Amino acid sequence: MLRGSRMPNIPFSQLLRQLPAGVATLEGPELRFGFVNEAMRALVGENAEGQPIAQHPGQLPTALLDVLPQVYATGKPYTAKACLCTPQPAAKQDCRYFDLALEPYSDEQDQPAGLLLLAIDVSEQEAARQQAHELALVTRHLDARLRVLTETAPLITYTSDAQGRCIYASPQWYRFTGQPPTADLTAIWPLLIHPEDRLRVLYEAETARRTGTGWNYEYRLRRFDGQYRWVLSRALPEVHPPDPPVYWHGALTEVHDQRELADALRRGEAELRFLADSIPELIWTATAEGFIDYYNRYTTDYSGLTKDELGPTGWVSLLHPSEQAEAARRWVQCVASGEAYEGEYRMRRLDGAYRWHIIRARQLADGAVLRWFGACTDVHDQNLLRQVLQTQYDELARAHHDLDTFVYAASHDLRQPALNLRGLFDELRRTATFTDPEQALLLGMVDGALTQFDNTLHDLAVTVQTQRAQQDPVEVLDLGLILEEVLLGLRPQAIQREAVLDVDVAEAPGLVYGRANLRSVVHNLVSNALKFAHPGRPPHIRLRSYHTPDGEPVFEVQDNGLGMEMADSSNPVFQLFVRQHSHIEGTGVGLYLVQRIVRSHGGHVKVASTLGEGTTFSIYWTRPA
Amino acid sequence: MKHIVYISRAVRPLSDRDLEELLTQSRRDNARNGITGVLFYSHGNIAQLFEGEPAIADSLFERIARDGRHSHVHKLIDRPIAARSFTGWSMAFHPLEPAGFATLEGFFLPHHVPALPETLSIADAMLVELVRLAVFGADPTQPPQAAPPVQLGS
Repeated sequence: MLRGSRMPNIPFSQLLRQLPAGVATLEGPELRFGFVNEAMRALVGENAEGQPIAQHPGQLPTALLDVLPQVYATGKPYTAKACLCTPQPAAKQDCRYFDLALEPYSDEQDQPAGLLLLAIDVSEQEAARQQAHELALVTRHLDARLRVLTETAPLITYTSDAQGRCIYASPQWYRFTGQPPTADLTAIWPLLIHPEDRLRVLYEAETARRTGTGWNYEYRLRRFDGQYRWVLSRALPEVHPPDPPVYWHGALTEVHDQRELADALRRGEAELRFLADSIPELIWTATAEGFIDYYNRYTTDYSGLTKDELGPTGWVSLLHPSEQAEAARRWVQCVASGEAYEGEYRMRRLDGAYRWHIIRARQLADGAVLRWFGACTDVHDQNLLRQVLQTQYDELARAHHDLDTFVYAASHDLRQPALNLRGLFDELRRTATFTDPEQALLLGMVDGALTQFDNTLHDLAVTVQTQRAQQDPVEVLDLGLILEEVLLGLRPQAIQREAVLDVDVAEAPGLVYGRANLRSVVHNLVSNALKFAHPGRPPHIRLRSYHTPDGEPVFEVQDNGLGMEMADSSNPVFQLFVRQHSHIEGTGVGLYLVQRIVRSHGGHVKVASTLGEGTTFSIYWTRPA
Repeated sequence: MKHIVYISRAVRPLSDRDLEELLTQSRRDNARNGITGVLFYSHGNIAQLFEGEPAIADSLFERIARDGRHSHVHKLIDRPIAARSFTGWSMAFHPLEPAGFATLEGFFLPHHVPALPETLSIADAMLVELVRLAVFGADPTQPPQAAPPVQLGS
C-alpha cells in the first residue's frame, strides 16, 4: 500500500511513531535505517537512523539480516513468523517473539528504493502456543498412563452414553468374554448376562441413566468358556454442571469366588441355625462376658418366653426358685475363670411344670473372640426312671439280704435241734432194745435221714457265708498249697473209695483269687468227683491248672465216675437243690455254689461229660461264657 | 418405674478429674431427675445401671447414647420394675490418686461396692455381677494391668 508513494506527511508519521507495531524503512542498497518508530526503537536500539542495518542490527535475528540483500534485489516480500529476538547479553525473560515482514518499495522511476520492515510483537501468542504444546504433551502422557493402567488392571473398564450405548470396553472385556474386537458391544453385552439377571441389570442401568446417578450391582456374566461368573459392576456419571451427564464410566470386577464363599458361609450359618433350632434341646450362646445373645427356637417354645423377655440373663429365672441363686453364682464364677459350666436344675416349662435338666456350657476360643456355647438337656424322665429303679433295687437288695439272713439263721438254729435229735436218737438206741429185725432197718434209715438233714443245713449255711464273703480280699494264691489243704480234708473219703488223685499245677501254679472262694470251688468239685464215682472202678481224679493260648487261667477236674446228662455243656445251669443222681446222698448245693462263685468273679464253668465214663469240669477263672 | 443397663467403651481414658466431674455432675442431675443406680468404670470400660420414671430414664439413655465421650453403647436390659432397688446414684472406679476420693459422696472403690439390694431379681443381680466382672475383671481389688476389651454382642 505504500508502494509508489513518498513518505507520509508529519501527522501521518506521528501516527506511525505511536503504532504498537514496529515500523522502519531501510533505504538504498546499503539499507540504512530511515524512519524508525517507537516500537521498532525498542528492537533496534536508539540512534539507528542513518546507520546501515548490517552495522546496527539490534536484536534482529541474523536469519533476517541474511535474506535482506536478496529481498532488496528480487523485490519479493518476505515474512518470518514468531522470530526470537534476543537482546545482548541474552536474558531468558527478555526474549520476545516477533512476526517480521519485509516489504520492498520503489521510487518514482520504479527502481527499488528500499525495504519497509514491520515487526509485530507476538510474544504472548507464542507463549500461549508453547503452553498449548506442553499441555498437549502432558495430556498425551496422561492418556498413555491411563490407557496402560486401565488395560493392565485386573478389571474391565467401560463407558456408555446417555442412550445406553456402550462406546468403550477395555481389552479385558474381550479377553474375558472371548468376543472378537469387532463385536457390537451394545448389542452383545446384554446377551452375555445370565438370563435370570438380565432384566434386573437392564432395568437398574436404565434407572440410573434416567436419574443421572451411578450404579452398583452384581450379576453373572458369561465367560469365554461358557461359564457364568459373578461380576460386580459399578459406574459413575461424568458430570459437568449444569448439563445432564452424557457418559457413564465404570468398572467390572469378578467377585465369583468371594460370592461363592459368602454364599457358603451364609449357607453354613443358616444350616447351623436350622440345626440348633431343630434339636429338641435348649441351645444358647453367650458373649465372653456371659451375656446370652442367642436362644434356639426350642428354648422359646419350651419356656413360652420371647428372646427379648429372656434377655441376657433371663434363663436363670426359668430355674426353680430354690436353685436360682446357686446357678447364678456358679455362672458368674465360670465366666470369671473360664471353667466349663455344668449343673442339674429344674427348669420351668411354659405350662408351669418343672423338669430336670442338665445344663452344660463350654467356652470356645475362635481366634481372639471368646464365646460360650450351652445346652440344657431334659433328663426328667431318666431321673424318674432312675429313682424308680433305685427304689426297686433297694427293695430287692433288702429282700435278698433278709432271705440270706433267714436261711442262715434257719440253718444255724435248726442245727442245734438236729444235734439234739441225733443225741437223743443215739441215747435211745443205746438204752432201748429192738427185737424186730425190720426195726433195725428202720433205725438205719432214721440214722441216714438225720445225717442228710445235718449235711443240708451245713451246706446251706456255707452257701450264705460264701455269698457274704464275695468281697473277700483278692491275693495271689499258690494253687498247689490250697489243693494240698483241701485234699487233706477229703482224705478219709478218698481212702474209703481207694481213689487215685493226680495233681498237676506246674503250668499255672499261681492264681489271683479270694482264698475262701478258691477252697470252696476245689472242695466241691473234688468231693463231687469222689461222691459220684462209678461203682465198678476206683475213682481216678486228675486236677490240672493251665493257661489257654490267650493266657487265661483254667482249672480242670476230670473224673472217671458216673457222668451226667447235660443240656448245654458249654453253658451249664446248676440250680439249687437240683440233683443228677438221686440215689446218691447229697444236697444239690455243691455245683450251684461253684457256679455262683465263679460267675460272680467274672468267670464261667464248662462241663464235658459222658454217662458211665466220667466228667470233666473246666473253670475259666477270668472270662465270662 | 423402669431400669436400664448398658455397657460401653470410653473414647479415651478418663482422668481422675474427668471422673470426679462426672460424679458430681451426674449426682446433681440424677438427684434432680429422680434417677438412682450405679456406674462402674475401669480402664475405658463403662457400665451403668439406672432406674427412674420411664420417660426420664428413656431420655437419659438417649442423651447417654449420643454422648461423644464413649462409643459402642450396648443396651443389655430395658424393662419395667415394680420398685427402685437403689437409694441413690453412685460410681465405682479406681482413681490414680485414691487419697482425694475417699471423702467424696457417692464414690466407692470397686471392691467396696455395697452388696446388691435384695429387691433385684436374681436374673438382674446376675446381670449386674457379670457387668461388674466385665468392667473390673475377676479381682476388683486390683485395677487390671491391661484392660480386657469389652466384647460386644452382635
